[in-house]
Order: sequence, then C-alpha cells, then structure tokens
Amino acid sequence: MTFLTAEFLLSTSIILYMIAALAALVLLKNQKLCALLSSLICIVASLFGLAAAFKQLLFENTTMALRLWQSNIPFLDVILSMDALSAFFVLCLSILTLCVSIYSIGYMKHYYGIRNVGLFYFLYAGFIVSMFLVFTAGNAVIFFVVWEIMAVVSYFLVSFESDEPETQRAGILYIVMTHIGTAFLLIAFMLMFRYTGSFDFSISSSALPENIRDIMFVLFLVGFGTKAGIIPFHIWLPYAHPAAPSNISALMSGIMIKTAIYGLLRFVFIYLGVETTWWGIAILVIGMVSAVLGVAYAYIEQNIKRMLAYSSIENMGIIFIGIGVSFMAFSEGLELVGALALTAALLHTVNHTLFKGSLFLCAGSVHYAVHSKNMEDMGGLIKRMPITALFFLGGALSVSAMVPFNGFISEWLTYQSIFAGIIPGQAAENILLVFAVAALALSGALAAACFIKLFGISFLGLARSEQAASANEVPLSMSLGSGILTALCLLSGIFPLYALGLINRVVLQLANRPILDQLQGNIFFLYSPLEIHGNAISPQIIVLTLVIIAAGALFIERIIFGKEKRREFGTWDCGYEALNPRMQYSAAAFSKPIRVVFKMMFRSSRDLKIKGPLTYHPDAMEYSVTTESLFEKYVYDPVSRMVTAFSRKAKFMIQTGSVHTYLLYIFITTLILMFYNRVIG
Amino acid sequence: MAIVIYIALQLVVMILLAPLVNGIIKKVKALTQKRRGAPVLQMYFDLYKLLNKSSVVSQVTSWIFIATPYIIVSSALTAALLVPVTTFASPIAFPFDIIMLVYVLALGRFFMGLAALDAGGTFGGMGSSREAMISSLIEPSLLVSIFTIGLASQSTSINDIMLAMQSVSLPLLRPAFTLTFFALFIILIAETSRIPVDDPSTHLELTMVHEAMVLEYSGRQLALMELGAAIKQLVLITLIINVFLPHDQFIAYAGIGGLMLSLLVYLIKVIGFSVLIAVFEASTVKFRFFSIPNLAALSFILAFLGFLQYFVLGR
Amino acid sequence: MENYFDVLSALILFSSFVLVANKRIISYIRTFQLQACLIALTAGIMGMNSFLKEGKIDILVVCAIILILKVYYIPRLLRKTYAGVEYKVEKDFFLNIPILIFICCFLVLFAYFSVPTIGGTMAGNVNIQVVNSFSLVLIGFFFMISRKKAIGQIVGFLVIENGIFITAMFSTHGMPFIVDVGVFIDLITAVLIMGIMVTRINDQFETIDINQLKNLRG
Repeated sequence: MTFLTAEFLLSTSIILYMIAALAALVLLKNQKLCALLSSLICIVASLFGLAAAFKQLLFENTTMALRLWQSNIPFLDVILSMDALSAFFVLCLSILTLCVSIYSIGYMKHYYGIRNVGLFYFLYAGFIVSMFLVFTAGNAVIFFVVWEIMAVVSYFLVSFESDEPETQRAGILYIVMTHIGTAFLLIAFMLMFRYTGSFDFSISSSALPENIRDIMFVLFLVGFGTKAGIIPFHIWLPYAHPAAPSNISALMSGIMIKTAIYGLLRFVFIYLGVETTWWGIAILVIGMVSAVLGVAYAYIEQNIKRMLAYSSIENMGIIFIGIGVSFMAFSEGLELVGALALTAALLHTVNHTLFKGSLFLCAGSVHYAVHSKNMEDMGGLIKRMPITALFFLGGALSVSAMVPFNGFISEWLTYQSIFAGIIPGQAAENILLVFAVAALALSGALAAACFIKLFGISFLGLARSEQAASANEVPLSMSLGSGILTALCLLSGIFPLYALGLINRVVLQLANRPILDQLQGNIFFLYSPLEIHGNAISPQIIVLTLVIIAAGALFIERIIFGKEKRREFGTWDCGYEALNPRMQYSAAAFSKPIRVVFKMMFRSSRDLKIKGPLTYHPDAMEYSVTTESLFEKYVYDPVSRMVTAFSRKAKFMIQTGSVHTYLLYIFITTLILMFYNRVIG
Repeated sequence: MAIVIYIALQLVVMILLAPLVNGIIKKVKALTQKRRGAPVLQMYFDLYKLLNKSSVVSQVTSWIFIATPYIIVSSALTAALLVPVTTFASPIAFPFDIIMLVYVLALGRFFMGLAALDAGGTFGGMGSSREAMISSLIEPSLLVSIFTIGLASQSTSINDIMLAMQSVSLPLLRPAFTLTFFALFIILIAETSRIPVDDPSTHLELTMVHEAMVLEYSGRQLALMELGAAIKQLVLITLIINVFLPHDQFIAYAGIGGLMLSLLVYLIKVIGFSVLIAVFEASTVKFRFFSIPNLAALSFILAFLGFLQYFVLGR
Repeated sequence: MENYFDVLSALILFSSFVLVANKRIISYIRTFQLQACLIALTAGIMGMNSFLKEGKIDILVVCAIILILKVYYIPRLLRKTYAGVEYKVEKDFFLNIPILIFICCFLVLFAYFSVPTIGGTMAGNVNIQVVNSFSLVLIGFFFMISRKKAIGQIVGFLVIENGIFITAMFSTHGMPFIVDVGVFIDLITAVLIMGIMVTRINDQFETIDINQLKNLRG
C-alpha cells in the first residue's frame, strides 16, 4: 500500500474533480447522465480527498509539498502543499462535498430542462476544486489566483437562477463585495513581497517592520473578513446564500466562508505571528458583534435560507470569538489558553460545516417540495416530509448548541477557554472577556429561539399554503445527503474526543502544544469526559442519562397507571370551531417581542392595509413589517452613492472616449514612471 | 454501588420535593392574601389525578407533541442529577459541569417551545414566542453569574464550586456573591415563570407565557409537563441555596447520619427559600410584558457588577 | 468588618441602579429612602465601631441625622411636593431603561479605571468601597441628566450628595463632625429651595418638565 501516499490521494482527488467538470461539459446534451456521472465522480473524488486529509492528519508528520510545475518565470511555480492545517480544512471540504454531491443527484432533478445542468456541474466541480486549491496553495501567488477563481466561479453559481432580478442583484452585490475584499488581500500580498522579496508564506516574516505588520493585519482582517461575512462586511452574505441553489448555499456557507478562517490562520497566525494584544481584541470584538447581530437579524427573518445565512454570520462570529481569545492569549504568553481557544474555534469550524451543510440541504429539500423559501407558506411539513423534518431538527438542535449535539461541545470549549483566559491582574481584558461571555450566551439563546421559530413555523402546525399541504418527501439521495451530515453532528457530539483527535495535530502545528493531553479522558464507550483542568463534561453519560430517564418515566407510568387512554380531537379553538391555518402564530408574529425589544437596531416599521370598508369587518387586511439594515443604510448606501456620483463624473472628465486622450494618459504615465525610476535609482 | 444509591436517592428526593415547593409557595401566597388556600400537598393530588386521566391530543400534532413531556422530565431530572443536594455523598466520577446544566435545561426549553407550536393553535405560538424572548434576555446574566461564582472557586464543576463555597465564611456577605445572588434570584423568577415575569395562576391569553405553552396538554402528558417544570424550579433553587448558603461544613459527622442530617438541613433551606419566593411574588405585581427587558437588564448589571466586585476585591 | 462595608457599598450602588430602572416618581422617592437606610446602616455600623473602640459618638449622631433627614424628612417633603404638582405623564426619561442601565454600567467601569489614579484615595490597590461610592456620584449626575421632571433632578442631586457623603465616609472612616453637619444644613436648604421652586414652576407653567425650558429661549 505504499503507493497510497497523501500526495497520490491528493492529486487523484483534484484530477477527479477536474474530470467531473470536463465530463459535465462533454455530456452537456444528456442532462440526466451528466448529473449522475459528475456527481458520482465528485463523490469518489471527495472520498480520495477525505483519505488524503485523514492520512495527513493522523499519520504524517511532515508538510507534504507537491511541485506541479516549475517554471523559469519567477514566482510562477505551481506548488501545492498540505500541512495539518490544510489537511483539516480539506477534511471539512471533503466531508461536505461528499454529502452535497450525493444530495445533488436528486436535487438537480428539478432543474432538468429548465436550466443548463451540464454547465452547473462544470461550475460545481470547478468551485470545489478551487476551494481545494485555496486550502493547499503553496505560495501567495497561487493562493491569490485560486482565491479569485473561487470568487468568480461562485458568482456564476450564485446567479445560476439568473432570470430573477433578486438573484441578479445578489450576484452583483456578491461579486463587488468579494472583490473589495480581494483588493485588500492584494495590497497585503504586495506589502509582503515588498519587504520580504518573496511570495512564499512558509518562510519567516521577520523582515517585516512592526508597523507594516499591523497594517498587513488590518488588510488581512478586512480581506478575509469580507469573505467570512462578519459584520460589518456581511451585507453580501444574506443575499447571496439564499439566491444560490441550495447545494451551492450549503457549500458556500459550509466551507467557502471557512476559507477566510483558513486564510486568517495561515497568514496572520502562522505567517505574521501573534505578538500584539490588540489584534486579538479586534478579532474578539468583531466576533462578538457578529455573533449577536447576526443571530438577531436571523431571528426576524421570514425567508428560511436567509435566516440560515444570517445564522452563518453568527457562527462565524463565534469562531472569531475563539480565534480572538486565542490571539489575545498567545500574545500574552498564555499558551495553554490560546491552544484551547484555537481548538474551540477549529472545532466550531468543522461543526458549523456539518450542521449548516445539513440545514441548507434540508432547506433545499423544503424548497424542492414546497417551491417557496418563505416560512409563511409552510407549516405541517413534519407530517408530509418526516425524514427531512427529522434531519432538520437534528441540525437545528446542533446549531442551537443543544446537549448531545456537536454545537454544544464547541460552545462549551469556547466558554472554557474564556474561563481559563480570565486571570487576575488584567482588568480591561477580563471585562472584555466577560462581555464576550454575555455575547456568546445571548447569541446562543437567541439562536435556540431562532431555530424554534424556524422549525416550529415551517414544520409544525397546520399547512399555510396549498403547496405545503401537498408536499411530498424528497428522493432518497437528498435525504441521504443531509442525513449523513446530521448523523455526523450527533456522533461528533456524543464522541467529541474523536473529533478533537483530528484537531489535535493542527493545534500542535499552530501552537506547538498538544491540546489532547489537556483534554483528558479515555475513549471508552461509557465514560469519556472532556476535561480541562478539572472541568469535565461527558456527553455519553448525559445522553445515557437522558435516554434512561425518559424511558424510565415511560416505563414507570405504564406499570403504575396502565396504558394511556388517548383521544384525538381538534386543537383548542375557544369553542368557535373555526380554527384555520391563518389563525396560527406567523413567523413575523413570533419574532415580534425581540423586534420590539431591539427596536433601536431593527428600526422596524409596520404597514397595515385594510381593503374594503373601514368597519369592524373589512374585506381583507394586510399586515407587513419592514426592517432597516443599519449597515446598509448608514455605511454602504452612502458609499455606493458616492462611488456612483464619482463614476458619473469620471465618465465625462477622465473617460472621455477620445483615443487621443487615452494615448496621452499612457504617454504621461510612461514619462512619470521614467522620472520616478531616475529619482529612485 | 454507592453511586447508584446516591443517584437513586437524589432522584427520589428531587421528584418528591419538587411539588412540595409549589405547594408551599401557593400556600404562603394565599396566606398573605388572607385566604386559606389549597393544602400544601395539593400538587401531589393533582399529579395523581392527571396521571390517571385519559388525555386529549390534537389531530394536528406530530410525534414532537407526545415526545416533549418525556424530554422535559428527562432534561429536568438529568439537571437534577447534576446539582448535588448535599456534597456529603459526593459521587466520585460524575461530571457536574454548571454550563452543561444550563444547556441540559435549555434542551427541555427548546422542545417545550416546539411542542407549543405543534398544535397549530394561537396560544401556543404566543407562549412560545414570549418564552423565547424572556429566556434569551436572561441568558447573558445567567452565564455571567455562573462565571463569577465559577471563577471565585476556580472551577466550573458544581461540586467543586459547592466545596469551595464551604470554605468561604458567609458567602452572602461578600459583595460579589451578594450581587450575583440577586442576579440569580431574578433569573430564577424568570425561569420558573413567576410574578413579575409571568403569572403561574393566570389563564388570561394576554398575559400567560408558560401556561400558554402547555395549554394543549392534558392528562398524563400535562402531569409530566407540570412535574418537569416543578423539578426544574427545584434544581434552580437547589443551585442557589447550596452555592450561596452551603451547609455541609456545619455537619460534623459523615456517614449515613451525616447524610440524613444534611438532607434535613437542605429541606429546611428549600422551605425557607420557597417562603422567600412566595413573599417576593406576593409583594410585586406582574410587569407589562415589554418591561421585562428592564428586569433582564437589571439582572445582567447585577451579574456584571458582581463580576467587577470580584475583580476589584479578588475575593 | 470590612466585609460588611463591602457588601453595603455594593448594595448602595445597586440601589442606585434600581433608582435608574425606576419608572415612576413615587418609586424614585421610595428607592431613595431605601438607599438612605443603607447609608444610615453603614454609618451606624461605623459609628458603633468607633464608639466601642474610641468612645466617640459623633458618627452615631451623623447616623441619627441621616435617619431623620434622609430617611424620613426629605422623602416626606418630596412626596408633598409631588402631591402638590399636577401632571399625569408617566414617561419621564429620554432613553429607554435598559440603555440607561447600560450607560450607568459603563460609568461604574469608568470609575473603576479612573479612581485609582486620583491621588490620596487609597494606597496602591483599588478600594472597592471608594469605587462603588464614587460610581454613585456619577450615576446621580447621569440620573439628573436623564430625567425630564424636576423631581428627578432633586433625587439625582440627593444621590450625588449620598455618593459624596459615603465616598468621604469610606475613605476617612469619619469626617470631622462640623463638616458633616454643615453638609446636612446645606442639603436641607437646597432641598427646601428646590421643593419650593418646583411648586412655583408648576404654578407658573403648569408642568415641571424642565425639558420645556428650551422654549424660554428668545
């Protein structure tokens, strides 16, 4: 089995994805075959990727480097490298790709004959391969190129359903925002080259002066933050994710925004090194704001996929809180706390990949069956689509950090790292950290409330529309795709030590410090507590206790009081016998209390339209609530107005359309450059 | 073996004591209003009656509606196992994490919120939505309070916290703990749906929160829901009294005798605290729903000031 | 002994938060009364201490004055003034209560960070009692700013005075008696004058919303 090296597995995986892309183009005419074949090749490719990542994470100690093409042109060597950090992200990518590819077999059916499925698969495979290369890029040039490819390909995927104006707008917003982020990265890479003379990020960055480091940190933070969708760079995310087809939303939310985490760790943590405390504080504060505002915006949302997108912002916020705490701790020399916080952040990264992937896939299933993304059109789906409902519930429990699921483990670790980070003698930081605790708690509770709303309104109660009443369960492949992810959520929640075992090597690489021996506990079935200096939880025991007590309660009541006599009857309707679906609590009504409490933030305004006579019995009433996005109104709109105004002016003054002027520009530029060269040289 | 006995004992104590707390609170409230009130043991009779009755289940509901009572009882009882009634019989290897406790209780709340929406009626949604707001707003102060007492005893394990608090003489006379105590008291009031946050005795649709959520339940399921709520209340009471008024250090001898004595002291403390809650409840009026954020903010500030005092004083 | 003062200072601080969270004027007065009780209790403990140790009774006298003046007389005066003025508007503040509370929370933080730099209050380490009581001064100030009605201003002023008084008490454990008495005489005069002013303003303008004084600009 010697030929099964990580290099081999990695390159096979990449080549297979490329084959999938080409196959899709070749079989453009036969949509069914194209979808099936490309999906299958992607599944196989993801299995290879999974194997490569596992091999690298568990058995290899050295960084794997794959020199694909060496050219004489400077800085254009195509090098792929995979260390533990890359392998970890490749692992997340491969798991998600596996499930999404299985899911896509069924999901793409409703595009047959309507859209160009072959083109979709070409883009789909290209998108995956670009993310794969982002994680394994060996130098900054390659990284930058594949980063751009990823952005452009995902733009095409976002605007796949291009005839809807909303989708077009989302696509444009996305491409603009992502390019703004890229611009910041470009400047950072330029600075990097200017001071070190190399695009290689595996070498030491000691040549960079102190202030340049700070500038580069800010550039990286803005650049990657835009991709991560953290507040205030988030505005593209809640539009782009819902607009894309659901399998693409799952990929984007599950892994594409994680490329930002990868970039931040790779370029700031490893390359620049963490020395100043304010970096950590900046990341922590951004994380806190994103966590709370993200979930608050999610709570008032009625569109399922947009709600999930906002929830992604929240979860990125939680990851950022972890990273921020770890940066703060490392800069102060608290290595253990730093390593712990990093573990928490990485665990939440993989957890978010799992549960958000599952949730987006289930949301896609719901959309597939009901043909709507609006919660107010749903209801009662748990009876029509029991399997999807079950998986969705699993994902919802996980994202709300409920106990036997993986979301809880990573939140608990984050709490523990903050707990360990609060040490006497650093008052200001402690106060910040305790606010982080409050932010984490608020966002956790709001997330739970948010998913009670999402699941309760769309899956429970009575159907609010014809389509919801007649919805059918989705094909097996779709259930399977989301089912695997939900099952992984549950398993990695009950057996967290296995998941942490994978992260251990990454933390060892980043922090030179193994975390697993701090997280004591043995991997027995029954009792494996997760222990951090004495603070322990044991998910297995809790699950067992919960199950035993529930079963015990059932058993004891049967024994003592006999079989229950149960009568079925209508819901209590105050005796009017006219309960109809429209009398249920709606999604907008459910979120009203929070909307009122945070009215400063939402600036909600309501609109009541009464049709017919203004008496006690009008013909129809229409109630709608609109909320304002503060960031759009006060930051982005003025900026975009300014840019538009400037462009309009530029059209007349600079871009005149006369060839002579353009020639003049080039001529003057040349002269200036020559002059500059003379002065500098 | 000792562990099994301990767990059984704890479960029995919690299940048997929980309805009593409600009885005491109701009785004291009645007495303050110059009424005779229901017998202290009324809730036991109610539960027995409900368990024997047949239940009516709405046709609209799904499996979540039936499963929820069991999940709630099970989450409340699991939480009850996480809080040591007496640190005397400290079980050796059971991970009592206080953050875990919060999230175990949250599991019950999550399903309660879902079950309320399951029947498709209006009341359920109302209760669920209000409960979601209340629980979200008090969560930060709960975690901050927990962090303060956890940091003071250098652990988040409830057992360790209780042991550490025993070495503190009169914890309630330290500013950090005094403020945290008040914060947790407000949280207790909010979590157990008492006045001024919610009125446990109302069935008026404009004001009810918890009652609206269990409105569709009847018979055996209702009994389980009520029992679950009572146990959750006892868990929170136990947490507060055993952390802020630790008693095991006063009991000189170990063994069965010490355990029994400790249980007796615990019982007295629970009864005393129930009377306190009842008096508090009787002396305030229910707040307007949108005044609850003020209470939550106050609770958060108490928790935060407690934390600050802990840092200023370091003790 | 210090323990009791720590707790009392924290409780006094808390009572000022309750004050800020209060909505109705009648409950401001009640909360102020409670705060005065706590201060009297502090002075009482301190007085007993100094009486037993040194045989001095002046702090006990101060305590008695506080009881008479702040717990009984001034609240009574305020209630009378309140009963005398006629308005029925309940909303008395500019921002909503949670935000007011959070601002006060930052005031406490500010006090925590700035008090140690004030010379002479303590040697080196931060003294919790001084921080708490100094925060009281800031919160009193902020309370005056945040309330529209004139009675709110009086209560705010009284809170500031309370804050200054206990700051002095905690940092010196008993000021010269004559200073205390002087302060109290000042206070009673100020409250009397303000009470009369409020009644006069009410007579003249039929409101005591001092936000409307803006209308007096030419």
